[in-house]
Amino acid sequence: MRILLVEDDATLAESTTRALRSQGWVVDCTARGEPVPLSLREDRYDLLILDIGLAGIDGFETLRRVRSQGSPIPVLILTARDGVEDRVRGLEIGADDYLVKPFALSELIARARALVRRSQARFSNELKMASLRMDLDARRAWLGEEPLSLSAREWEVLSFMMARIGKVIAKEQIVSASNGWDQSTTDNAVEVCISRLRAKLEPAGIQIRTVRGFGYLLEEQAPAVKT
Amino acid sequence: MLNKALGASLSLKQRLFLWLLMPLLLAVPAGSFALYTLIRNTTVAWLDQGLGDTALALSNFIRTHDGELIVEISGQTDGALRFDRVDRVYYMVLAPQGQRLAGDMMLGEPHVTVTAGEWDFRDVELDGQTLRLSTLGVACGVVGNVCQIRVAETTTKRTSLRRDLLVAVGVTMLLLSTGLVLAGWLAIHQGLRPLGELSTEVERRDLDRLDPLEQPVPNEVRPLIAALNRLFERLRAATGAQQDFLANAAHQLRTPLTSLRTEIELALLEPHDDTLEPLLQRLKNSVDRSARLAQQMLSMARSDATPPHEGQRVLDLRDLAAIAAEDWVPRALDAGIDLGFELESAPVMARSFLLRELLENLIHNAVNYAGEGARITVRVGVRDGRAMLEVEDTGPGIPPEDRGRVLQRFQRGPEAKGSGSGLGLAIAQDIAISHGGTLTLGEGAHGQGLRVRLTLPLAAPSAPVASAPAPLPPAC
Repeated sequence: MRILLVEDDATLAESTTRALRSQGWVVDCTARGEPVPLSLREDRYDLLILDIGLAGIDGFETLRRVRSQGSPIPVLILTARDGVEDRVRGLEIGADDYLVKPFALSELIARARALVRRSQARFSNELKMASLRMDLDARRAWLGEEPLSLSAREWEVLSFMMARIGKVIAKEQIVSASNGWDQSTTDNAVEVCISRLRAKLEPAGIQIRTVRGFGYLLEEQAPAVKT
Repeated sequence: MLNKALGASLSLKQRLFLWLLMPLLLAVPAGSFALYTLIRNTTVAWLDQGLGDTALALSNFIRTHDGELIVEISGQTDGALRFDRVDRVYYMVLAPQGQRLAGDMMLGEPHVTVTAGEWDFRDVELDGQTLRLSTLGVACGVVGNVCQIRVAETTTKRTSLRRDLLVAVGVTMLLLSTGLVLAGWLAIHQGLRPLGELSTEVERRDLDRLDPLEQPVPNEVRPLIAALNRLFERLRAATGAQQDFLANAAHQLRTPLTSLRTEIELALLEPHDDTLEPLLQRLKNSVDRSARLAQQMLSMARSDATPPHEGQRVLDLRDLAAIAAEDWVPRALDAGIDLGFELESAPVMARSFLLRELLENLIHNAVNYAGEGARITVRVGVRDGRAMLEVEDTGPGIPPEDRGRVLQRFQRGPEAKGSGSGLGLAIAQDIAISHGGTLTLGEGAHGQGLRVRLTLPLAAPSAPVASAPAPLPPAC
């Protein structure tokens, strides 16, 4: 996996680069936004990590130029600003995710991985996590080499959750994303569906954690980075 | 002297009034006395003139007969001469040698010397009564001889006149001075009213509200207003600069702190001496604490920089808690903490970034102090007609006697550990108060742990509320 990191603080750029490389990823680093569009045209990157507060053109402008040349690369914004407005603005002009400084390394890596995974799923129409693989075209899933049988409802719920690995998902979100569920049966139905999925996925090291009173969280049993 | 002595203790009103009163205290008695004397002297002169007229009338009765001076007055004439409606009138005509020619013997007693044509008026005591005596010298008989004609009357008329005069002058002056005092007080009161209004207006200014004073004022006060407005301007610039500095400093701190944190995390990941592990963990905690402090300073600067009611809108505390869930659940799970939610709709009027900061602080505190294995519950709903948000944990809690203290800035609980700055609860309380709410600390369920409860006024039911059951993460 190849990442382009745009960060003008030399120390932070250095440590972030090392952190990303520790995951076995290839990282190129630049301090300014101006050359970014050209770099993306010339080389194939899987992820752009972009600081907002840059000397010269800022991260927003850089992102705008990247998107205006039609690049679909997933973009993770790093910013020292935490205003909702900034967040909304970044997402509006085409960022895929957003991290506020100071962030935990584990969070950066998890977000980077999730973004890349999602973008790869867009190209290959395949969702992957640990040994789980979901082919979105064929609507078929495998655990390793073993086919995994899922009901239509389980398929909907799991594919929805697979797009949000590591994120908290509200029950209401699962309901509204699933066809054919009416509001009255929801809570119970979701719980039943989740417990069936749990039984099927846990042997493969995939965990669905319950967030009491709120929803669920899909994660791999052994986190990639321990902090 | 007087100015100095009074200046310190008296109000402007009192001073003005005093300065008005003092001349009045001198002028009123002096004026009364002068007026009284003037009128009295005039009336005395008029009455004396009456006596004199009688004396002049008498002088016509002196005749010389065979070289002897005689005065013949008929009983009718005598009655006419003595007629007075109020006082008793006496008269006497004296020959040059002093013997009585006519009239009442008793008037011969006082020794008065007058030349021809001369008048003398005096008060005398005769037979136990006070008399006003007029004496007129008249040439009579041989050349150079002077007869005296004396006319006297009792003083009943004069006494009552004087009394009436005293009352009249006294009452007039009293009314006049009362009127003056009232008018003076009113004038001072009215004249100083713009100052009163000005001070009320200045009283309303504080660091959040430093707009210039603009109400109409008298010319004399304008320089003061101008000076105050310049002062406000400087103050505003100064607090603005201070807030900018604080925000900027806090903001600038984030990048190096991120870098530091990343380095420490990398060091923890890479092969290292086991003895370094606790050190690295402590370092990481310190960095987290600094980062948190920077964030809180930034929030404080921003909340101080905007007036309390600016930018408020209707939002649902449930949505706020849902956002917090996204941020905090992964971290809580990492820390071995069960973070759960009991959420119902609770619309309030608020500035969202401040309430987010508040909730952030409460959850951060709970996660940091409750410890591994703890259970934290974020609860949102409506209780007793107020919106309620509470964060309850099963940690060590805070003893009742320390609860007041932890709500002050930079005070941490005595048992505090972890990455608290001592600002969290104080900021939370400031935010609660600025939204017309309260923040109370209590025990968690079964008397264990800590429960921090925020209550806020419910937003008007008619107000539009975003009614999405939960906000969808924008990234998805």
